[in-house]
Amino acid sequence: MGNFGLLMEGFQVAITPMHIGIMVVGVMLGLIVGVLPGLGAPNGVSLLIPLTFTMDPVSAIILLASMYWGALFGGSTTSILFNIPGEPSSVATTFDGYPMAQKGQTTRALTLAFMSAGIGALVGVVVITLLSTWAAEFALRFGAPEYFSVYFLAFCAFIGMGSSAPLKTIISLLVGLALSTVGMDTITGTLRLTFGVNELMGGVSFLVVVIGLFGIGELLMTVQDGLRFRGVTSRIDLRDVFRTIAELPRYWATLLRSSAIGTWMGITPGGPTAASFMSYGVARQWSRPGEPFGKGRPEGIVAPETADHSAGTCAMLPMLALGVPSSATAAVMMGGLMIWGLTPGPMLFATKPDFVWGLIASMYISNIVAVVLVMATVPMFAALLRIPFAIIGPVIVAICFVGAYTVSSATFDLWLVLLFGVIGYLFSKLNYPLAPLVLAMVLGHKAENAFHQSMILSDGSLGVFWSNPLVGSIMTLALILVLVPQLSRLVSKFRSRGTLRSAQ
Amino acid sequence: MVIKRIHMEILVACLTAIAGVVVAGGSLELGVGWTDSGPDAGYFPFYVGLLLAAAGFANAVWTVIVHRGEAEVFLEQEQAMRLLGFFLPMVAFVAVTLVLGLYVGAALYLFYVAWRQGKYNPLWAAALGISFAVFLFVVFDVLFKVPLLKGPLEAFLKIY
Repeated sequence: MGNFGLLMEGFQVAITPMHIGIMVVGVMLGLIVGVLPGLGAPNGVSLLIPLTFTMDPVSAIILLASMYWGALFGGSTTSILFNIPGEPSSVATTFDGYPMAQKGQTTRALTLAFMSAGIGALVGVVVITLLSTWAAEFALRFGAPEYFSVYFLAFCAFIGMGSSAPLKTIISLLVGLALSTVGMDTITGTLRLTFGVNELMGGVSFLVVVIGLFGIGELLMTVQDGLRFRGVTSRIDLRDVFRTIAELPRYWATLLRSSAIGTWMGITPGGPTAASFMSYGVARQWSRPGEPFGKGRPEGIVAPETADHSAGTCAMLPMLALGVPSSATAAVMMGGLMIWGLTPGPMLFATKPDFVWGLIASMYISNIVAVVLVMATVPMFAALLRIPFAIIGPVIVAICFVGAYTVSSATFDLWLVLLFGVIGYLFSKLNYPLAPLVLAMVLGHKAENAFHQSMILSDGSLGVFWSNPLVGSIMTLALILVLVPQLSRLVSKFRSRGTLRSAQ
Repeated sequence: MVIKRIHMEILVACLTAIAGVVVAGGSLELGVGWTDSGPDAGYFPFYVGLLLAAAGFANAVWTVIVHRGEAEVFLEQEQAMRLLGFFLPMVAFVAVTLVLGLYVGAALYLFYVAWRQGKYNPLWAAALGISFAVFLFVVFDVLFKVPLLKGPLEAFLKIY
C-alpha cells in the first residue's frame, strides 16, 4: 500500500493548526462566493490567487481547494432556500430541494444535500487516492504527441459530451485558444497578436477573463431578470438533522450510482454541471415508484448533490496527474499552480510528493470541515442574500474589479473585465459554454508547445499522432467522442423522418 | 422595442467569425509556414483563427437556415433598462477609478448606487461607500500588502 503510506505523510502535512485554520477560512470564503450571485467558484478562486503569491504553495492550494468545496456547498444552499442556484452545478438541486423546503422541511432538505454532498466528495477523494499514483506513472510514458493527444481529447470531450450545441462549444474553445496566443511567444520570442497595443504584450491573463466572464457576466444575467429572493425559513433544527441522517442509508442505491456518475464525469471532462444533471435524470428513471420528482422527493436532492461533489473532487485527479483540468475551477487552480512555479503533471508526484499528498489529505479533512461549518452557519449566509441588491451588487462589482487589478496591477485589465463581462453575458444568454473557453486559455500554451514539438519530431507530418498504439488510441478516442454523438443525432433525425413518412 | 434572439445569434456568430479573421490576419504577418527550427510563430494562431472564422461563419449560416423566422425574444425593453441601469454606473466606476484610484472610485460607486437606485439617505449611502473603501484598504494594503490603485486623494493624504 504505497499510496496509503504517502497519504499518511500527506495527513502530517495537512493536519497542522495553521492548515486547519486555512481550511476554515477557505470554506467560509467559499460559502460566501457560493451564496452570492456573480461570485461563483471559478471566479472566487481567481480573485484569491493574487493574494496567494507570497504563500507557501501547499498552504495556497489548501486555501483554494477549501474555497472550492465551500463554494459547492454554498451553491446548494441558495438552490434550496431561494430557488436560485449559486453555482451552475447546483441547478439540478433546485428541482426537488426548493419544493421540499417550501413544504417546511428546510432542515431535511439541507441535511440531505450536505450529507450526500459530503459522501460524494469522500468517494471522490478515495478514488483520487487509489488512482493518482497509477495515473501519474501512466503519464510518465507520455511524450509530446501523447500530451497533445490528451489535450485534444479534453477539447473533444467538451464538444461531444457537453450540453451545448457542438458548434458553439467549438467556437468557445477556439476563442480561448486564440486568447492564449496573445503576447510574447515563449518558443520564438516574438510578439503575437498585440496589434500595436503595448498593454497586450504580456498576454491576456486568464484570471482577468474568468473574473469578467463568470463574475460580471453572471451579474448581468442576474440583473436582467430582476432579483426576486423569496427565501424560505433558514433555521436549522438539530433533531431534524439527526433524523435525516438516520434516513440517509435508505438512499444507498442512489448514493452509489450518483457517486459513480460523478466520478466518471469528474475524471473525463464532463464536469460537475453535466454530472449533476445526468445523475438527476438517471435517478428519476431508475428510482422506485413513489412521490413524483420535482415535488420535493429526497432522491431528487441526493442524486445531483452526490454527483456534483464527487465530480468536483475528481476533477482534481486529471489536473494533478496529467495537467488536464476537467472543470473551469480546476482549470483556474491549475493556472494558479503554474503561477506558483509548479508544473502540474506526473513529475509533480515525483518532485513534490508533500504538495500532492498534502492536498489530497487536506481534501478528506476540509470536506468534513465544510459539512460541519455549513450546517452551523447556514442561517448567517442565507442572511447575505437578504441584503438589498443596490448594496450587495456594487460591492460584488467592486470586488471583481479589485481582484482583476491585483492580478498584475494593470489598469488596462479593468477594461478587459468590462469587455469580457459583456462577452460572458452574451455567451451565457445564447448558450455558448464558458468552461471550454477557460480550459482552452489555460491549456493553450501547453497544447501549442506539445503540438510544436510533435511537428518537429515528425517534420510536419500529422501522422505522428497515430505513430504508436498509445497516442493513436487516444486520438481515435477523441475523434469518436466528437463524431458519435453527432452521428447518432443524425440517425435519429432520419429515423423520425422515416416514421413520419411511413405514417403518411 | 424588443431584440429578437435570432438577430443576436447571427450577430454574435458573425462577431466570432470576424475575430477569427482578425486572428488569422494578425498571424499572417508573423509567418505561418515552417522555419529551420519548426513551425513559425504564427503557425498555431493562424489555424486557430482560420477554424474560428469557419466555425463562426458556419454557425451564422446554420442559424439562418434552421432557426429562420423564430420569434423568441432576446431582451425586452424593461430588461434592457435594468441592464443599462446596472452597466452604466459600472462603466463610470471604471472611468472614475482610472483618474481617482480604486478606493475613491469604489466609495463613489457604492454611494451613487445606494443613493440613486437603492433610495437610501445620502448620508447613509456615503457612510457605506467610505466604510467599504476603508475595508478594502485594510484587507489589501494593510493585511495582504497588495497595494491597490491610488489617486490624488491618497497622494494628498500621504498614503502610499
